[in-house]
Amino acid sequence: MPIHDQGYRRYLGSRGAIGKSWQVITRAGIRTVLSKRSFIALMLLAWSPFVVRAVQVYVASNFQQASFLAPKAETFREFLGQQGLFVFFVTIYIGAGLIANDRRANALQVYLSKPLTRAEYVAGKLAILFFFLVSVTWLPAIMLLLVQIMFAGSLGFLRQNIFLIPAITLFSLLQVLVASMTMLALSSMSKSSRFVGVMYAGLIFFTAAMFQALRGITGRSSFAWLSPTDTLEQLGNYVFRLDPVYDLHPAVAVLTVVTLVAGSAWILERRVRGIEVVQ
Amino acid sequence: MIGRTLSFWGASRRVFDLSLGEMLWSRRTIFMALVVGGPVVLALVVRILETFGMPALRVNGQRIGGMGVFGIVIWMLFLRFVIPILGVFYGTALMADEVEDKTITYLFTRPVPRGAVLIGKYLAYLACTSLVVLPSVMLVYFLLIRLNEVPGTFMQLLTDMGLLFLGLAVYGAFFAFIGAFFKRPLVIGLVFVMGWEQTAMALPGYMKRFTVAYYLQALVPHSMPSDGVVSILQGMFRDTPPVAVSLTWLAVYLVVFLFLAARTVDRKEYILEQ
Repeated sequence: MPIHDQGYRRYLGSRGAIGKSWQVITRAGIRTVLSKRSFIALMLLAWSPFVVRAVQVYVASNFQQASFLAPKAETFREFLGQQGLFVFFVTIYIGAGLIANDRRANALQVYLSKPLTRAEYVAGKLAILFFFLVSVTWLPAIMLLLVQIMFAGSLGFLRQNIFLIPAITLFSLLQVLVASMTMLALSSMSKSSRFVGVMYAGLIFFTAAMFQALRGITGRSSFAWLSPTDTLEQLGNYVFRLDPVYDLHPAVAVLTVVTLVAGSAWILERRVRGIEVVQ
Repeated sequence: MIGRTLSFWGASRRVFDLSLGEMLWSRRTIFMALVVGGPVVLALVVRILETFGMPALRVNGQRIGGMGVFGIVIWMLFLRFVIPILGVFYGTALMADEVEDKTITYLFTRPVPRGAVLIGKYLAYLACTSLVVLPSVMLVYFLLIRLNEVPGTFMQLLTDMGLLFLGLAVYGAFFAFIGAFFKRPLVIGLVFVMGWEQTAMALPGYMKRFTVAYYLQALVPHSMPSDGVVSILQGMFRDTPPVAVSLTWLAVYLVVFLFLAARTVDRKEYILEQ
């Protein structure tokens, strides 16, 4: 049998453009997640509030007696607020292992030995989470707006509430950005995806519990900045032009979100490295 | 040399000895310390404000006493957050950790009953979490309560500590079963604690009886604070079962889930991912 030459051979394939390698990670990640049946079940569950709201819009549009169910601007804010629960579970389901599993399998070094920068690696991982989180927040909310137009048979509601499109986009983006950046940063800090999941749950619920306890003790809601969930809720109300729920200045709420995202970016910059110095 | 086979409880004790050291001196303990450290820091801040006579402890002009603040901390932080989250974290990890680290093979090749491995690890979890949580509760109590109030309120502290211990035990047993049975125990555990329990407690009828929180909250000697829509709903539909009934059901949950967890470990074939 002939023995083939296993020596150096020039690469004959096509070269991807610089800065596009992250798409490979994203595509592979999305495909892996979509192959899990339990995740499909979670996504179906996450879309169930959309179905309920769509029925509500249908009934309100077709039956005069049910006109009190007609959607308002608040309806979309409430809808996105409800989706927060699914954002939490989808974030844990997908995000916990995104970097932690690579660290566990020592795959980070393999990734970064390819023509792929650290920023591209992080962007690729972030895009996976972004994709699925957008599909449980922005996508159903915009679909709901379309459903309203379809069932009402007029653009009247949209014309009166044209700010809803940027409001839905901005608030969804805030929800998704905070959840995905925080989770990715936590995922880079451990090799166990379970530990990452608990850390994320701890961060979300512990800060909320601390805020509620402080609120109960002091009777003031100005400590809402302690809890990312409540800070987002406050920002959501500003974005949708509703009365604020807490006594928290919007600048402080924005600062909290910026600090959280910047802190996560800093952690990622420190933790995602090809070479790990072991002491 | 062929060693003598250990009895079930003897084997559990051996696993307990081994696991306790591992659990206490691990990164998880840092997480647990952070979790239980929050209430202590909060109590310390309240104490400092109280010492300087600042109006932080007044709601609508009314001063909240130390016991009122302690009750809020027990409800909001320990009962609703610390106990369930530690139960999920440690309970689901009892077997899942061994599967994930691929070390379960070594445990199962020892001449000990498989169920004893789980029981030993469960007891280690209970000892480890109690050793961290209960002292922090005591610390919070002594930071918030003035010395002259201690004789009148000490029994409430003991009740609180007892019910928190019971909570750790029952949640731990439940999540030990979830961890032994399911492949993705963490998500299921979080759905149970943060999804099912919160929803069921806010619904009228019998739904809430299928939660641990319903029986646990019935034992709390402090009044329930209402801090949001869910709390208000929970308060509206709240019915408090008698103490004896609550204790009985919690004991039933504990025994049943611990038995199921041990039985699952005994019979399940764990396939390690390559």
